[in-house]
Amino acid sequence: MRSLTEEETKTLFTKIANYTGSSLSQLVAPTTGDGPNGEGERMVFRIQKDRVFYMPLKLANLAVSIPRASLLSVGTMIGKFTKTGKFRLALTSLDVIAPHARYRLWIKPNGEMPFLYGSNVVRAHIARWSEDAPEHSGCIVYSMDDTPLGFGVTARSTAEIRKLDPTAIALFRQADVGGYPFHHLKEHHLNGKLEFMESLDVNTKVILHFGVGFLCIK
Amino acid sequence: MAPTKGSSKGASSGGAKGSKPSSLSSASRVSKSSKKNVKRPPPKEMKTKARTEKENLAKKKKRVYTEAELNLPKLNTITPVGVVKPKGKKKGKTFVDDEEGMMTILAMVNAEKDGQIESKMIKARKLEEIRDARHKEMEARQAVKSKKLEAVKDSIRNAKKGKGSDEKSSEASTSAKGAKSSKPKRKSVSFA
Repeated sequence: MRSLTEEETKTLFTKIANYTGSSLSQLVAPTTGDGPNGEGERMVFRIQKDRVFYMPLKLANLAVSIPRASLLSVGTMIGKFTKTGKFRLALTSLDVIAPHARYRLWIKPNGEMPFLYGSNVVRAHIARWSEDAPEHSGCIVYSMDDTPLGFGVTARSTAEIRKLDPTAIALFRQADVGGYPFHHLKEHHLNGKLEFMESLDVNTKVILHFGVGFLCIK
Repeated sequence: MAPTKGSSKGASSGGAKGSKPSSLSSASRVSKSSKKNVKRPPPKEMKTKARTEKENLAKKKKRVYTEAELNLPKLNTITPVGVVKPKGKKKGKTFVDDEEGMMTILAMVNAEKDGQIESKMIKARKLEEIRDARHKEMEARQAVKSKKLEAVKDSIRNAKKGKGSDEKSSEASTSAKGAKSSKPKRKSVSFA
Protein backbone atom coordinates (compact mmCIF):
# COMPACT_ATOMS: atom_id res chain seq x y z
CA MET A 1 0.00 0.00 0.00
CA ARG A 2 1.35 3.42 -0.91
CA SER A 3 0.16 6.97 -1.39
CA LEU A 4 -0.67 8.14 -4.89
CA THR A 5 1.74 9.83 -7.25
CA GLU A 6 1.02 13.25 -8.70
CA GLU A 7 -0.24 11.86 -11.96
CA GLU A 8 -2.44 9.29 -10.27
CA THR A 9 -3.89 11.91 -7.96
CA LYS A 10 -4.74 14.10 -10.91
CA THR A 11 -6.42 11.26 -12.78
CA LEU A 12 -8.38 10.29 -9.70
CA PHE A 13 -9.56 13.83 -8.96
CA THR A 14 -10.48 14.47 -12.57
CA LYS A 15 -12.72 11.45 -12.50
CA ILE A 16 -14.30 12.30 -9.19
CA ALA A 17 -14.77 15.93 -10.30
CA ASN A 18 -17.07 14.63 -13.05
CA TYR A 19 -19.62 13.90 -10.39
CA THR A 20 -18.87 16.42 -7.69
CA GLY A 21 -18.77 20.16 -7.48
CA SER A 22 -16.14 22.35 -5.92
CA SER A 23 -16.94 20.90 -2.52
CA LEU A 24 -14.72 18.02 -3.52
CA SER A 25 -11.98 19.70 -1.51
CA GLN A 26 -13.89 18.58 1.57
CA LEU A 27 -12.73 15.07 0.80
CA VAL A 28 -9.09 15.78 1.59
CA ALA A 29 -9.59 18.55 4.12
CA PRO A 30 -9.37 17.43 7.73
CA THR A 31 -12.68 16.86 9.35
CA THR A 32 -13.51 19.13 12.22
CA GLY A 33 -13.76 17.13 15.33
CA ASP A 34 -12.20 15.25 18.10
CA GLY A 35 -8.45 15.52 17.59
CA PRO A 36 -6.10 16.31 20.43
CA ASN A 37 -5.75 19.94 19.31
CA GLY A 38 -9.33 20.32 18.27
CA GLU A 39 -8.52 19.23 14.75
CA GLY A 40 -10.21 16.33 13.10
CA GLU A 41 -8.83 13.34 11.35
CA ARG A 42 -7.25 13.67 7.94
CA MET A 43 -8.65 11.50 5.18
CA VAL A 44 -6.21 10.11 2.68
CA PHE A 45 -6.13 8.09 -0.51
CA ARG A 46 -3.98 5.00 -0.71
CA ILE A 47 -3.31 2.64 -3.57
CA GLN A 48 -2.98 -1.08 -3.08
CA LYS A 49 -2.07 -2.99 -6.23
CA ASP A 50 -4.35 -1.13 -8.65
CA ARG A 51 -7.19 -0.25 -6.29
CA VAL A 52 -7.56 3.10 -4.63
CA PHE A 53 -8.87 3.28 -1.09
CA TYR A 54 -10.08 6.22 0.93
CA MET A 55 -9.49 6.11 4.67
CA PRO A 56 -8.54 8.09 7.71
CA LEU A 57 -4.82 8.64 8.10
CA LYS A 58 -4.86 6.71 11.35
CA LEU A 59 -6.13 3.59 9.62
CA ALA A 60 -3.58 4.04 6.83
CA ASN A 61 -0.79 4.16 9.38
CA LEU A 62 -2.07 1.05 11.06
CA ALA A 63 -2.29 -0.79 7.77
CA VAL A 64 1.43 -0.26 7.17
CA SER A 65 2.16 -3.12 9.51
CA ILE A 66 0.47 -5.58 7.20
CA PRO A 67 2.53 -6.91 4.30
CA ARG A 68 1.46 -5.78 0.86
CA ALA A 69 0.74 -9.26 -0.38
CA SER A 70 -1.60 -9.97 2.49
CA LEU A 71 -3.56 -6.74 2.48
CA LEU A 72 -6.77 -7.07 0.52
CA SER A 73 -8.79 -4.04 1.48
CA VAL A 74 -8.65 -1.11 3.85
CA GLY A 75 -11.04 1.80 4.21
CA THR A 76 -13.49 2.47 1.40
CA MET A 77 -12.64 1.31 -2.08
CA ILE A 78 -13.02 4.21 -4.50
CA GLY A 79 -12.14 2.51 -7.73
CA LYS A 80 -9.29 1.05 -9.67
CA PHE A 81 -6.70 2.08 -12.19
CA THR A 82 -6.75 0.29 -15.49
CA LYS A 83 -3.58 -0.99 -17.09
CA THR A 84 -3.66 2.00 -19.45
CA GLY A 85 -3.66 4.44 -16.56
CA LYS A 86 -7.32 5.44 -16.61
CA PHE A 87 -9.40 5.40 -13.49
CA ARG A 88 -12.70 3.61 -13.03
CA LEU A 89 -14.96 4.66 -10.20
CA ALA A 90 -16.45 1.77 -8.31
CA LEU A 91 -19.91 1.61 -6.83
CA THR A 92 -18.41 1.71 -3.34
CA SER A 93 -17.39 5.31 -3.95
CA LEU A 94 -21.05 6.32 -4.03
CA ASP A 95 -21.24 7.26 -0.37
CA VAL A 96 -18.10 9.37 -0.74
CA ILE A 97 -19.21 11.34 -3.79
CA ALA A 98 -22.97 11.53 -3.19
CA PRO A 99 -22.85 14.32 -0.57
CA HIS A 100 -20.80 16.49 -2.93
CA ALA A 101 -22.78 15.78 -6.09
CA ARG A 102 -22.90 18.48 -8.75
CA TYR A 103 -25.95 17.19 -10.62
CA ARG A 104 -28.65 15.03 -9.13
CA LEU A 105 -31.56 13.15 -10.53
CA TRP A 106 -34.49 11.62 -8.64
CA ILE A 107 -36.28 8.68 -10.11
CA LYS A 108 -39.85 7.61 -9.54
CA PRO A 109 -40.53 4.47 -7.51
CA ASN A 110 -41.60 2.62 -10.64
CA GLY A 111 -38.21 3.36 -12.18
CA GLU A 112 -36.13 2.13 -9.25
CA MET A 113 -36.24 -1.56 -10.04
CA PRO A 114 -35.30 -1.20 -13.71
CA PHE A 115 -32.39 1.02 -12.69
CA LEU A 116 -31.21 -1.36 -9.99
CA TYR A 117 -31.31 -4.21 -12.47
CA GLY A 118 -28.83 -2.36 -14.61
CA SER A 119 -30.80 -0.49 -17.23
CA ASN A 120 -30.43 3.16 -18.16
CA VAL A 121 -32.84 5.76 -16.87
CA VAL A 122 -35.60 6.63 -19.33
CA ARG A 123 -37.37 9.94 -19.50
CA ALA A 124 -40.62 8.54 -18.09
CA HIS A 125 -38.93 7.44 -14.85
CA ILE A 126 -37.50 10.83 -13.95
CA ALA A 127 -39.29 12.66 -11.18
CA ARG A 128 -36.94 15.62 -10.71
CA TRP A 129 -33.55 16.69 -11.91
CA SER A 130 -31.05 19.50 -11.40
CA GLU A 131 -31.41 22.29 -13.87
CA ASP A 132 -28.65 23.37 -16.22
CA ALA A 133 -26.95 20.01 -16.51
CA PRO A 134 -25.13 19.73 -19.83
CA GLU A 135 -25.06 16.46 -21.69
CA HIS A 136 -22.46 13.81 -20.86
CA SER A 137 -21.91 15.06 -17.34
CA GLY A 138 -21.78 12.88 -14.25
CA CYS A 139 -24.96 12.67 -12.26
CA ILE A 140 -25.97 10.96 -9.03
CA VAL A 141 -29.25 9.08 -9.04
CA TYR A 142 -31.49 9.25 -6.00
CA SER A 143 -34.72 7.56 -5.10
CA MET A 144 -37.63 9.76 -4.06
CA ASP A 145 -36.67 9.44 -0.40
CA ASP A 146 -33.19 10.87 -1.15
CA THR A 147 -31.30 7.59 -0.95
CA PRO A 148 -28.45 7.53 -3.45
CA LEU A 149 -29.02 4.59 -5.74
CA GLY A 150 -26.13 4.96 -8.14
CA PHE A 151 -24.53 7.22 -10.67
CA GLY A 152 -24.40 7.70 -14.38
CA VAL A 153 -23.82 10.10 -17.24
CA THR A 154 -26.53 12.30 -18.70
CA ALA A 155 -27.49 11.42 -22.24
CA ARG A 156 -28.95 14.86 -23.00
CA SER A 157 -28.92 18.25 -21.42
CA THR A 158 -31.83 19.04 -19.15
CA ALA A 159 -33.33 21.40 -21.69
CA GLU A 160 -33.38 18.65 -24.25
CA ILE A 161 -34.67 16.01 -21.85
CA ARG A 162 -37.85 18.02 -21.46
CA LYS A 163 -38.61 17.66 -25.12
CA LEU A 164 -37.85 13.96 -25.28
CA ASP A 165 -40.46 11.29 -25.60
CA PRO A 166 -41.08 9.13 -22.52
CA THR A 167 -39.13 6.10 -23.69
CA ALA A 168 -35.97 7.99 -24.64
CA ILE A 169 -32.85 7.41 -22.55
CA ALA A 170 -32.04 10.33 -20.30
CA LEU A 171 -29.11 8.93 -18.32
CA PHE A 172 -26.59 6.19 -19.00
CA ARG A 173 -26.07 4.02 -15.95
CA GLN A 174 -22.54 3.57 -14.64
CA ALA A 175 -23.09 1.86 -11.32
CA ASP A 176 -25.97 1.21 -8.99
CA VAL A 177 -26.47 -0.34 -5.59
CA GLY A 178 -28.16 -3.27 -7.25
CA GLY A 179 -24.61 -4.28 -8.09
CA TYR A 180 -23.76 -5.01 -4.47
CA PRO A 181 -24.92 -8.62 -4.51
CA PHE A 182 -23.12 -9.17 -7.82
CA HIS A 183 -20.05 -7.34 -6.64
CA HIS A 184 -19.98 -9.46 -3.55
CA LEU A 185 -20.21 -12.66 -5.52
CA LYS A 186 -17.58 -11.54 -8.00
CA GLU A 187 -15.13 -10.44 -5.39
CA HIS A 188 -15.59 -13.65 -3.52
CA HIS A 189 -15.13 -15.63 -6.67
CA LEU A 190 -12.05 -13.72 -7.76
CA ASN A 191 -10.15 -13.68 -4.56
CA GLY A 192 -11.31 -16.84 -2.95
CA LYS A 193 -9.64 -15.38 0.07
CA LEU A 194 -12.44 -13.58 1.80
CA GLU A 195 -13.43 -16.57 3.85
CA PHE A 196 -14.87 -14.53 6.62
CA MET A 197 -17.10 -12.78 4.12
CA GLU A 198 -18.94 -16.04 3.74
CA SER A 199 -20.30 -15.70 7.20
CA LEU A 200 -21.73 -12.29 6.39
CA ASP A 201 -24.85 -11.87 4.36
CA VAL A 202 -25.06 -9.37 1.54
CA ASN A 203 -26.58 -6.59 3.65
CA THR A 204 -23.83 -6.77 6.23
CA LYS A 205 -21.20 -6.24 3.61
CA VAL A 206 -23.02 -3.22 2.28
CA ILE A 207 -23.03 -1.73 5.74
CA LEU A 208 -19.34 -2.45 6.11
CA HIS A 209 -18.61 -0.72 2.84
CA PHE A 210 -20.68 2.27 3.80
CA GLY A 211 -18.78 2.69 7.03
CA VAL A 212 -15.69 4.86 7.13
CA GLY A 213 -13.44 1.90 6.75
CA PHE A 214 -12.64 -1.61 7.66
CA LEU A 215 -9.59 -3.70 7.39
CA CYS A 216 -9.65 -6.92 5.55
CA ILE A 217 -6.75 -9.31 5.59
CA LYS A 218 -6.24 -12.90 4.62
CA MET B 1 98.66 -32.65 -23.22
CA ALA B 2 97.59 -31.65 -26.63
CA PRO B 3 99.80 -34.04 -28.70
CA THR B 4 98.74 -37.11 -26.71
CA LYS B 5 95.11 -36.32 -27.25
CA GLY B 6 95.62 -35.96 -30.93
CA SER B 7 97.57 -39.26 -31.24
CA SER B 8 94.93 -41.23 -29.43
CA LYS B 9 92.24 -39.84 -31.68
CA GLY B 10 94.13 -40.78 -34.76
CA ALA B 11 94.89 -44.31 -33.53
CA SER B 12 91.29 -45.07 -32.68
CA SER B 13 90.04 -43.85 -36.02
CA GLY B 14 92.56 -45.94 -37.88
CA GLY B 15 91.67 -49.07 -35.96
CA ALA B 16 88.01 -48.69 -36.66
CA LYS B 17 88.69 -48.44 -40.32
CA GLY B 18 90.68 -51.58 -40.43
CA SER B 19 88.57 -53.90 -38.26
CA LYS B 20 85.06 -53.06 -39.49
CA PRO B 21 84.91 -53.33 -43.28
CA SER B 22 81.28 -52.73 -44.14
CA SER B 23 78.93 -53.01 -41.18
CA LEU B 24 78.13 -49.31 -41.27
CA SER B 25 76.40 -47.79 -44.24
CA SER B 26 78.41 -45.77 -46.61
CA ALA B 27 76.04 -42.85 -46.25
CA SER B 28 76.61 -42.54 -42.57
CA ARG B 29 80.22 -42.68 -43.17
CA VAL B 30 79.97 -40.05 -45.80
CA SER B 31 77.82 -37.89 -43.65
CA LYS B 32 80.18 -38.17 -40.83
CA SER B 33 83.00 -37.17 -43.00
CA SER B 34 80.95 -34.39 -44.65
CA LYS B 35 79.83 -33.00 -41.30
CA LYS B 36 83.30 -32.72 -40.32
CA ASN B 37 84.35 -31.15 -43.54
CA VAL B 38 81.47 -28.58 -43.82
CA LYS B 39 82.65 -25.10 -43.87
CA ARG B 40 80.44 -22.94 -41.75
CA PRO B 41 80.45 -19.25 -41.83
CA PRO B 42 81.88 -17.70 -38.81
CA PRO B 43 79.23 -17.26 -36.09
CA LYS B 44 77.81 -13.91 -36.09
CA GLU B 45 77.19 -11.96 -33.05
CA MET B 46 73.43 -11.82 -32.29
CA LYS B 47 72.34 -8.34 -31.74
CA THR B 48 69.38 -7.81 -29.38
CA LYS B 49 67.31 -4.89 -30.40
CA ALA B 50 66.53 -2.17 -27.98
CA ARG B 51 63.01 -1.86 -26.70
CA THR B 52 62.74 1.63 -27.88
CA GLU B 53 63.30 0.59 -31.46
CA LYS B 54 60.55 0.94 -34.02
CA GLU B 55 59.79 -2.74 -34.57
CA ASN B 56 59.38 -3.50 -30.96
CA LEU B 57 57.12 -0.58 -30.46
CA ALA B 58 54.90 -1.45 -33.41
CA LYS B 59 54.16 -4.95 -32.17
CA LYS B 60 52.75 -3.74 -28.88
CA LYS B 61 48.97 -3.82 -28.48
CA LYS B 62 47.43 -0.40 -28.65
CA ARG B 63 44.97 0.72 -26.01
CA VAL B 64 41.42 0.95 -27.25
CA TYR B 65 39.48 3.93 -25.99
CA THR B 66 35.76 3.87 -25.51
CA GLU B 67 33.66 6.66 -26.94
CA ALA B 68 32.87 8.02 -23.55
CA GLU B 69 36.58 8.32 -22.75
CA LEU B 70 37.24 10.27 -25.86
CA ASN B 71 34.67 12.92 -25.05
CA LEU B 72 33.76 13.32 -28.67
CA PRO B 73 30.78 15.45 -29.59
CA LYS B 74 27.80 13.26 -30.36
CA LEU B 75 27.03 13.91 -33.95
CA ASN B 76 24.74 11.90 -36.14
CA THR B 77 23.85 9.52 -33.39
CA ILE B 78 20.28 8.58 -32.81
CA THR B 79 19.15 8.19 -29.24
CA PRO B 80 15.65 6.84 -28.66
CA VAL B 81 13.40 9.14 -26.68
CA GLY B 82 12.80 6.76 -23.82
CA VAL B 83 16.43 5.86 -23.32
CA VAL B 84 17.84 9.23 -22.43
CA LYS B 85 16.83 10.29 -18.99
CA PRO B 86 17.23 13.83 -17.83
CA LYS B 87 20.21 14.25 -15.60
CA GLY B 88 19.77 15.33 -12.06
CA LYS B 89 16.18 14.18 -11.90
CA LYS B 90 15.12 12.02 -9.01
CA LYS B 91 14.60 8.41 -9.86
CA GLY B 92 11.25 6.80 -9.12
CA LYS B 93 7.82 8.10 -8.23
CA THR B 94 6.99 11.36 -6.57
CA PHE B 95 4.25 10.87 -4.05
CA VAL B 96 1.71 13.44 -3.04
CA ASP B 97 0.84 12.88 0.54
CA ASP B 98 0.74 16.35 1.98
CA GLU B 99 -2.49 18.22 2.14
CA GLU B 100 -1.25 21.29 0.30
CA GLY B 101 -0.06 19.29 -2.69
CA MET B 102 -3.40 17.54 -2.86
CA MET B 103 -5.23 20.83 -2.60
CA THR B 104 -3.26 22.41 -5.42
CA ILE B 105 -3.94 19.46 -7.69
CA LEU B 106 -7.58 19.55 -6.65
CA ALA B 107 -7.85 23.25 -7.37
CA MET B 108 -6.27 22.75 -10.78
CA VAL B 109 -8.62 19.89 -11.61
CA ASN B 110 -11.63 21.81 -10.37
CA ALA B 111 -10.76 24.87 -12.40
CA GLU B 112 -10.28 22.74 -15.48
CA LYS B 113 -13.58 20.97 -14.93
CA ASP B 114 -15.43 24.21 -14.32
CA GLY B 115 -14.00 25.62 -17.51
CA GLN B 116 -15.09 22.54 -19.41
CA ILE B 117 -18.61 22.66 -18.01
CA GLU B 118 -18.83 26.37 -18.67
CA SER B 119 -17.80 25.90 -22.27
CA LYS B 120 -20.25 23.04 -22.58
CA MET B 121 -23.04 25.21 -21.24
CA ILE B 122 -22.17 28.07 -23.52
CA LYS B 123 -22.06 25.72 -26.44
CA ALA B 124 -25.41 24.20 -25.46
CA ARG B 125 -26.93 27.66 -25.07
CA LYS B 126 -25.66 28.74 -28.46
CA LEU B 127 -27.01 25.60 -30.05
CA GLU B 128 -30.32 26.16 -28.33
CA GLU B 129 -30.45 29.71 -29.66
CA ILE B 130 -29.68 28.52 -33.14
CA ARG B 131 -32.33 25.85 -32.83
CA ASP B 132 -34.87 28.41 -31.62
CA ALA B 133 -34.03 30.79 -34.43
CA ARG B 134 -34.38 28.01 -36.95
CA HIS B 135 -37.69 26.99 -35.42
CA LYS B 136 -38.98 30.54 -35.60
CA GLU B 137 -37.85 30.86 -39.17
CA MET B 138 -39.59 27.64 -40.04
CA GLU B 139 -42.77 28.85 -38.41
CA ALA B 140 -42.61 32.14 -40.23
CA ARG B 141 -42.03 30.35 -43.50
CA GLN B 142 -44.93 28.03 -42.76
CA ALA B 143 -47.14 31.01 -42.00
CA VAL B 144 -46.20 32.73 -45.25
CA LYS B 145 -46.82 29.53 -47.15
CA SER B 146 -50.21 28.99 -45.61
CA LYS B 147 -51.12 32.62 -46.25
CA LYS B 148 -50.17 32.24 -49.85
CA LEU B 149 -52.20 29.09 -50.10
CA GLU B 150 -55.17 30.77 -48.53
CA ALA B 151 -54.84 33.68 -50.93
CA VAL B 152 -54.74 31.33 -53.87
CA LYS B 153 -57.71 29.43 -52.51
CA ASP B 154 -59.61 32.64 -52.02
CA SER B 155 -58.80 33.84 -55.47
CA ILE B 156 -59.96 30.57 -56.94
CA ARG B 157 -63.09 30.70 -54.86
CA ASN B 158 -63.73 34.26 -55.95
CA ALA B 159 -63.02 33.47 -59.53
CA LYS B 160 -65.40 30.58 -59.41
CA LYS B 161 -68.04 32.72 -57.87
CA GLY B 162 -67.56 35.48 -60.40
CA LYS B 163 -67.51 33.12 -63.33
CA GLY B 164 -70.59 31.31 -62.18
CA SER B 165 -72.59 34.51 -61.82
CA ASP B 166 -71.52 35.78 -65.27
CA GLU B 167 -72.38 32.57 -66.98
CA LYS B 168 -75.69 32.38 -65.28
CA SER B 169 -76.55 35.94 -66.22
CA SER B 170 -75.52 35.44 -69.85
CA GLU B 171 -77.46 32.25 -70.10
CA ALA B 172 -80.45 33.89 -68.65
CA SER B 173 -80.24 36.75 -71.08
CA THR B 174 -79.88 34.50 -74.13
CA SER B 175 -82.72 32.31 -73.06
CA ALA B 176 -84.88 35.33 -72.52
CA LYS B 177 -83.99 36.65 -75.96
CA GLY B 178 -84.69 33.33 -77.62
CA ALA B 179 -87.99 32.93 -75.95
CA LYS B 180 -89.00 36.31 -76.95
CA SER B 181 -87.80 36.41 -80.60
CA SER B 182 -88.61 33.07 -82.07
CA LYS B 183 -90.24 30.07 -80.78
CA PRO B 184 -88.97 27.36 -83.13
CA LYS B 185 -91.38 24.80 -84.27
CA ARG B 186 -90.70 21.61 -82.73
CA LYS B 187 -89.92 18.89 -85.13
CA SER B 188 -92.27 16.14 -84.64
CA VAL B 189 -92.54 12.73 -86.01
CA SER B 190 -95.91 11.30 -86.52
CA PHE B 191 -96.76 7.82 -87.36
CA ALA B 192 -99.49 7.15 -89.65
